[in-house]
Amino acid sequence: MRNAFSRLTIAAAVLAMCAACGGKKPPTTTASSAPNPFPASSATDTTPVSTPRPPDALPVPPDVNPNTRPYDNLSPDDINKQAILKPVFFAYDSDEIDEAGRKTLDSNAQILKEYKGWVLTVEGHCDERGTPEYNLSLGDRRAQAAKTYLLSLGINADRLKTVSYGKEFPYNPGHDESSWTQNRRAQFMVTAK
Amino acid sequence: MMLKHLLVVVGVGIATVTGLTTPAPRPAEIVARATQDPARPPQKQQSELVLALDNPSYQPRIGIPDFIATGGDAELQTAAKMLADVLAADLDFEREFLVVDRKASAAIPPAATPEAINFDRWRQLGADFVVYATMRRAGAEFTVDLKLLLARGTPPGQQRFGSEYSKCAMSNPRYCAHFIADDMHMKIRQVLGVARTKIAFASDRDATRQSGRFDPGSIGKEIYISDYDGANQRAATANRSLNINPTWLPDARGLAYASYVSKFPDIYVSLFDGRPPTRPAGGTDAIQNTLPAVSPDGTRIAFASGRGGRYDVYLVNRDGSNPRNLTPNTPNSDEGAPTWSPTGSQIAFTSDRTGTNQIWVVSADGLGLPKRLTSDQHSDAPTWSSLNYIAFTLGSGPGHDIAVIDLSKMEVRVLTDGIGSNKQPTVAPNARHIAFVTTRWGREQIGILDYPTGKSYRRVTESGNNTFPDWSPVPGGTSTATNKTARVPQ
Repeated sequence: MRNAFSRLTIAAAVLAMCAACGGKKPPTTTASSAPNPFPASSATDTTPVSTPRPPDALPVPPDVNPNTRPYDNLSPDDINKQAILKPVFFAYDSDEIDEAGRKTLDSNAQILKEYKGWVLTVEGHCDERGTPEYNLSLGDRRAQAAKTYLLSLGINADRLKTVSYGKEFPYNPGHDESSWTQNRRAQFMVTAK
Repeated sequence: MMLKHLLVVVGVGIATVTGLTTPAPRPAEIVARATQDPARPPQKQQSELVLALDNPSYQPRIGIPDFIATGGDAELQTAAKMLADVLAADLDFEREFLVVDRKASAAIPPAATPEAINFDRWRQLGADFVVYATMRRAGAEFTVDLKLLLARGTPPGQQRFGSEYSKCAMSNPRYCAHFIADDMHMKIRQVLGVARTKIAFASDRDATRQSGRFDPGSIGKEIYISDYDGANQRAATANRSLNINPTWLPDARGLAYASYVSKFPDIYVSLFDGRPPTRPAGGTDAIQNTLPAVSPDGTRIAFASGRGGRYDVYLVNRDGSNPRNLTPNTPNSDEGAPTWSPTGSQIAFTSDRTGTNQIWVVSADGLGLPKRLTSDQHSDAPTWSSLNYIAFTLGSGPGHDIAVIDLSKMEVRVLTDGIGSNKQPTVAPNARHIAFVTTRWGREQIGILDYPTGKSYRRVTESGNNTFPDWSPVPGGTSTATNKTARVPQ
């Protein structure tokens, strides 16, 4: 689990750097509210998780044979398990997508533009501090905010469903600030490809 | 036309969700018949104690020995002790009687006849009255003959209350005791007891991992039902998805709840008849619905839906007809968590239109402007009691408290003591108790406290995390809205 996540973190960094090569503004290192995308949870996960296959070639050069694209052989479950599409994190009681969140969504949009068959559900989640009823609407706002940003990047609305789980499905079931930071998120679950 | 629509809704239910698990048989109703002591008919003697039995400002002290099942089989003997234990707990719960500790009175020898009761010993333990109850079995049923005897006087033993309870089920002696407790509360104290009520809630105790999800916290929740005293906890759904916010139909004949079994939240209504649930709000992945509240007459369901962008409170008829937005004029705020007034004429709900989540109230026909009830901290999960108060969750966390707003004075009062986080109140049908979610015992558990004292914490659940409690009506459909039995001890 930990290895997979650190590999993904590196992969994300590679992606971000390439975005810089492409002539965009270089990524600034901000003291962002966003934590590492899903570092290993402190909670014990008793479910056996097979070691995910590391994404081997990133990013995809435009002239590469489409048959060799790195995620073509992955099932939706594999894509979700490896968090190929990274979650976006939010400040407490906020549905605002910050600078780090926009970068994450830019990367996700690049992948979605390459893999045009992917259909996904944007899930809005909250930490446990707010009331459960309020969190259902807050999670909905977070999912809608992430969806709206992806739409603005040209992703087709037909590919994006949303759902709010409120605080019911925390990423990290812990009860401290580091857990809460991971739990305030919009998470992208590929449902078909 | 309406029938056709209903069939379509039922059809969707069949395709997507299994119904509530096999319903528990509804107990055949027990028959109570008042009895008198033929030897000593009650006299109109105005002693202090005669007045005391129904004096609301005095708690009669009552001793409860094991019921007498002389000559009965082992099963009946076991039931005899259970009935006394459950009756004592039920009477103790309502605080209308002071029950002599059953451990202390266990040393008093059982009396086969009323004349053999050692009233001296009972008086030494403080008893004003002693229960004398005999049981006799007839096949799968048994009958209880219960008398309440005066422990004082010369001679002691005068009958002050008597009733025969027939058609008690051998398979469910606890229910028989609950019935007797409710009957004693009503006949002696003119109080609506809640011993036969249940509490529905959502629980993750089955620890079902969600297929296709890999985050450690994605544990499913099923709807569970418990007797009010924590006995007989059983799952009412078994779809291994996320099920939340159960809410009872009138007369406790079924539940509405929100389920993610189709991968998005929608309202499901299930009767305990084995048939698949209906989906009156007609959810799709574009029309998502949650937080149902059933009207007191059972004909309409209020719920929250984000179908128009931000969340609003919607109403729909039970058959799926006439869906309408009750809060259409606030496109930039979230409205949710509806609760019906006891008569069904008004709906309280939450709105963050002022910047923080507060409780508002509007006419159930949608006419007139909503009025704000609270104005301080984050407020959520209102639940309208039969006694003109609304209980709700107060505070933005991590700690919350249970608060009530008295609608006659518009005063907010915090009931919980600040230990752990306390949220999601649900009020007993007699308005004298509030069940809620609390972390005071570790994980999220259902607890009960008394209204208005905020005291007498009792624990209902033990395993897993348990949230979204909803207290059932009293079976038989007694309305407390205009009933003097909603009297609250001061």
